[in-house]
Amino acid sequence: MDFSLSEEEQSVRDWVRTFVRKEIQPLEQEVLRRERANQPGLTHDVLVELQDKAKASGFWGVQTPEEYGGMGLGAVMSALLEAELGRSFVQFRFGGYADNILYHANDEQKQRYLLPTLSGERRSCFAITEPGAGSDARAIRTSARQDGTDWIINGEKTFITGGNEADFTMVFAVTDKEKGANGGVTCFLVDRDQGWRSEYIDTMGEWGPAALVFEDVRVPKENILGEVGRGFELAMKWIGRGRYMLPARALGACERLVEMAVEHANTRVTFGESIANRQAIQWMIADSAVEIEALRWLVLHAAWVVDQGGDSRHVQSIAKLYGGQKANEIVDRVLQIHGGMGYTRELPVERWYRELRLLRIYEGTDEIQRRTIARNILKGHASISGTLG
Amino acid sequence: MPNIVVLVKQVPDTYSERRLSDSDHTLDRDSADAVLDEINERAVEEALLIKEAQGGEVTVLSVGPDRATEAIRKALSMGADKAVHVSDPALHGSCVIQTSKVIAAAVGKVDGVDLVIAGNEATDGRSGAVPAILAELLGYPQLTHARKVVIEGTTIKVTRETDEGLTHLEASLPAVVSVGEKINEPRYPSFKGIMAAKKKPVETLTVADLGIDAGEVGLASATSTVVEAAPKPPRAAGQKVEDEGDGGAKIAEYLVGQKLI
Repeated sequence: MDFSLSEEEQSVRDWVRTFVRKEIQPLEQEVLRRERANQPGLTHDVLVELQDKAKASGFWGVQTPEEYGGMGLGAVMSALLEAELGRSFVQFRFGGYADNILYHANDEQKQRYLLPTLSGERRSCFAITEPGAGSDARAIRTSARQDGTDWIINGEKTFITGGNEADFTMVFAVTDKEKGANGGVTCFLVDRDQGWRSEYIDTMGEWGPAALVFEDVRVPKENILGEVGRGFELAMKWIGRGRYMLPARALGACERLVEMAVEHANTRVTFGESIANRQAIQWMIADSAVEIEALRWLVLHAAWVVDQGGDSRHVQSIAKLYGGQKANEIVDRVLQIHGGMGYTRELPVERWYRELRLLRIYEGTDEIQRRTIARNILKGHASISGTLG
Repeated sequence: MPNIVVLVKQVPDTYSERRLSDSDHTLDRDSADAVLDEINERAVEEALLIKEAQGGEVTVLSVGPDRATEAIRKALSMGADKAVHVSDPALHGSCVIQTSKVIAAAVGKVDGVDLVIAGNEATDGRSGAVPAILAELLGYPQLTHARKVVIEGTTIKVTRETDEGLTHLEASLPAVVSVGEKINEPRYPSFKGIMAAKKKPVETLTVADLGIDAGEVGLASATSTVVEAAPKPPRAAGQKVEDEGDGGAKIAEYLVGQKLI
């Protein structure tokens, strides 16, 4: 059993580590300042500048197939990179990304949507969640009815990541009420100028998702992604595109947070002694170290199963659930170790504290992950002995 | 088309806590992350810039433990063509003169060297002496602390920057150049470069391969050793200046007292 990185994996990982240290972390104070003034921490211009810099070294389109100019990296390598990016709270991501389902577009749609998204000229958002359909995505009510060769969409979507900035959406609507999710949901590519509008949703995090409103939005049949009635399969494909990446990012955050806690514990003196000598602090550090170690291998194992091409849903759910739970416990401990300073807005700890809370909710709540895991075990789809059987 | 050798060194990351070992006061390599010294990245960058403009070949040369292959790979992933790695347990604790002798012998293993580029001072040892000693041993002119390097045929022109000012130097190749912090901004290795680095040739040599007796190198016969080391004392508490409308004057007074202004 080899737990070491290959030479390439180490070099690529180190490249990102250096990039984060030299290019991203120096922006942190300014990003904090801007976020606290209710502005986007990283402006689009600065993001693009950083992405171009990375692209000049070939770091572009991490998982984008090489035929589209991407790096075409596997899941393990991607998870390693994501963990490094997670070491800063600055919302940097490499350029050259497009939603996986856009690769299912026909040639003409690829020209209009996929390629401009990869190049950064266009920005997408994935819209399935509704006020009455979150974890229960099958309950969506947004509808599309046929009118000649056009379709007319009505309904409301909510908590749409990137919905405020997107200039087109992949929206899921019921086209056959009888069939519902079993052949009655269709995915439409809809440009913002075709008539939908977005409304900003304020959250406890630094940036908000959007509500999308569709009122008699008319789109031609050329805007159907895939086939009529086959939308739910696409939606599941999008949702399953890489759940392991979320705890991977949290892993990097936890590493950085505990490094901060260690530094603080070693320098903070109370009652004439460093707090690092206090057992209460030592136990918090120890528990965090154990959990980070466990999280690291859960994430990398899930990614490894993805690379092996097996059914990875079970292991991805385990990594996502554990990552969400433990990242929140760890950031809470790190805040506690920092005492009053941790609660202030001088340090980014409270910011991470709020951000990481989302990990237990989006892209499958803790409860949904537990449901998936329990069902797999109880029905015998997964072994309690894990991958080793 | 200059044939360039770049000296690189793996050093403890300046971002981590660096220590000397308790037993023999040599560098405790396990106590910190190891990286390619940043000044060496600039040396590699300068070699690559010359190669890109004039052609030629860039060979990376490192004297260090097996682990130093990581630093060599980084230089290769930036775009160097091949590498020579001198690795031998006998080298442990070698002084600058011993190290320079080993480097000189290893440079001799590379055919037709026109130029040796080094960083002017490593962030760990900080002796800053190797480039000069090496030039002496090789019988090459030394152009140290370079801020700018220009090669015209068999002539090299260097702008040296020191605290005293700028000096313009000129010499014939082959020569030894050491570069300073301001020489250039080193590139990030490219993804393709990282992938290609693995396939580039790295020749690993022992001191015996260089015709040097193991007894001539290492701590036992070193011309200089560290006999004692103590960690830097923690910073003492600063002096607080209360601003009662005269804060500026008080700060100026303090700075004058410290002979800082």
